[in-house]
Amino acid sequence: MSMKKNLIYSVIFVLILFAAAGCSKTDGQKDGIKNVTIWYYWETEKHQKTLNKIISDFNESQTQIVVKAEYIPFAEFKKQLSIGTSAAKLPDIVIIDNPDHASYSAMGIFADITEKMKDWTDLNQYFEGPLNSCKLDGKLYGIPFGSNCLALYYNEDMMKAANASVPQSWDELRAVSKKLTKGSVKGLGFSSLPNEEGTFNFLTWVWSTGTSAFGINNPEGIKSLAYVSDLVKDGSVPKEAINWTQGDVMHQFISGNLAMMINGPWQIPTMRQEAPKLNWNVALIPKDKQYASDLGGENFGVVNGQNVDASLEFIKFACEPDRIKTYINDFGYIASRKDVAETQFAEDDKIMKLFAEEMQYALPRGPHAKWPEISNAISLAFNEVMTGVSSPADAAKKAQKTIDSIIK
Amino acid sequence: MEKIFKKVSGKIGFEYLYVLPALAYMLFFVGYPIVSNFILSFHEVSVLTLNSPDKEFIGISNYITLFKDAVLLRSIWNTVLYTVLCILFQFVIGFALALFFNKHFCTSKSVRGFLMIPLMIPITVTALIFKFMFSSNVGIINQLLQTLNLIDAPVEWLIQPGTAMFALIFTNIWIGIPFNMILISTGLTTIPVQLYESADIDGANSFERFLYITLPMLKPAIQSVLILGFIYTFKVFDLVYVMTNGGPVDTTQMLSTYSYKLSFSLFKYSHGAAVANILFVILFAVSLLYLKYAPIGEENSK
Repeated sequence: MSMKKNLIYSVIFVLILFAAAGCSKTDGQKDGIKNVTIWYYWETEKHQKTLNKIISDFNESQTQIVVKAEYIPFAEFKKQLSIGTSAAKLPDIVIIDNPDHASYSAMGIFADITEKMKDWTDLNQYFEGPLNSCKLDGKLYGIPFGSNCLALYYNEDMMKAANASVPQSWDELRAVSKKLTKGSVKGLGFSSLPNEEGTFNFLTWVWSTGTSAFGINNPEGIKSLAYVSDLVKDGSVPKEAINWTQGDVMHQFISGNLAMMINGPWQIPTMRQEAPKLNWNVALIPKDKQYASDLGGENFGVVNGQNVDASLEFIKFACEPDRIKTYINDFGYIASRKDVAETQFAEDDKIMKLFAEEMQYALPRGPHAKWPEISNAISLAFNEVMTGVSSPADAAKKAQKTIDSIIK
Repeated sequence: MEKIFKKVSGKIGFEYLYVLPALAYMLFFVGYPIVSNFILSFHEVSVLTLNSPDKEFIGISNYITLFKDAVLLRSIWNTVLYTVLCILFQFVIGFALALFFNKHFCTSKSVRGFLMIPLMIPITVTALIFKFMFSSNVGIINQLLQTLNLIDAPVEWLIQPGTAMFALIFTNIWIGIPFNMILISTGLTTIPVQLYESADIDGANSFERFLYITLPMLKPAIQSVLILGFIYTFKVFDLVYVMTNGGPVDTTQMLSTYSYKLSFSLFKYSHGAAVANILFVILFAVSLLYLKYAPIGEENSK
């Protein structure tokens, strides 16, 4: 008897196994309505609300397409996209960090929309840098969402107390940082993580010397590494920065542990909310040979699949100049379209005007299909000199070897 | 009815049917990923080729490239160093605690219960707490050491290449002690008291009793603890990922975190798979050792 029972249990188990394998899928499209899913990684509540507002406006404006957005944390984002690719389970639109766009275009995730967007005259209105980050080998794989760049923030009270003036050159920056470093307060901070976020910050130093992200092992590249290494050796830049995200840097700044920081405009809404009494201002990042900043921001990438046309409908809707005006300031971004950016900021908004000025000097990263590997080599080199593992010359040599093997 | 079943099963090996569900499960959820990962590591799969139908077969050249790469060798060395040091201290301290609580004093049971807490906290939580504790400016460890005048300036535990590894090992020892203690404790309860009593009569001192009774009787338990501990420790991921993420400058990179980095931040999927396979092969060898010793151990303990 017990054997029979066992047999029955086994059969049931096998059946469950097959049933489980057979489930899932089938959330089909009813009545010709197309469902478009967006993936994004903005963690700030304001960003999320603003995005959802654009989406609900679009959904109400027509009856054919229903758009919905899903939040994926930044740290998980690339992983989910990669897994989604091999499992053929991707959204229809990805709002992606612009340096990663080329990699995913090369992977074949994004649709080539060059032909489809040919007649969209608005394309001429986009700034070259952001638009180029959507391209690979001359083909268009997306539309810029909005841009930002880095600038120097400084604590006005600390600056006054130390009787220092806003630095404009590297030498001045080094001297002022040293002057502002007192006790637990450090002169300057910027995110120095060994990842894309770190590279984003490090490249401002590299580019200011006049060299490119692909040429580190030359006097200019070594100079930029040595400069950052000196800032750390002076004690002006805390070594902990190698574990700080840009959000961490901002929080160190508003809690008074940093007198100056390199950061982007998207921090401003939070800073005003959390530290309304803090006296701060922004300036161009001090220069070596030339002013330089890093172009940040996101693009809409259209996933290669069934819903390319429906997705483009939404993107065109979201990118109408008048609509961009309604949301771009809530993001703390600078519009990627000239016609919007020109009138984006009120005359008296000196801070955003400064960012708009810095934007002229902002360079895009890549675009290169293997940018993540190049970026890794650069951020690693800076981490090596900041922790004192390698000399600037050795770090540059090592990074160059990696970069050369990628771009050969 | 039962007789018929027995007859049939005797003839065609009916009993294998009972293994079928487990076998199917293992083949699908364990076998397939392993095989597929090995296949992946013999092909050139990166961002450029992930979606193309024909991926170039390149044999073992992924492995050759990796072994020429200093980071892989360092990850292997790190993983081994981490595992050996963790196991050594966890085992010795866990063993000592097990012996101590085996004395059956009035609070022995409840205190032993409290010592199990590190095992119950999710590792990511432990890792975050220790990350704060090891923080150079506000961490309690630096404050403690400074108050005791053991150090002059704050130590940058997680930011310096040498000390970051130490911090990881220290944390994991704390996590692993209860696991060792509880398994050894269980082993201790299986040793008959009579053995100690007769040894007493023969005039053995406590050290001799430990050496000639406790240790040999605990051999199976010790084997299990060491081998299971090795497997758990060798494949560490979450602790390192949260506390240092392999940094600073790859000095705490483990095989698991390096594999993750290659696959999911650098998009070198086949390299990531190759590193995962190296990890797998080492663990597989150790597991074979375990299988070889474990059954004998069970018989012995009975």
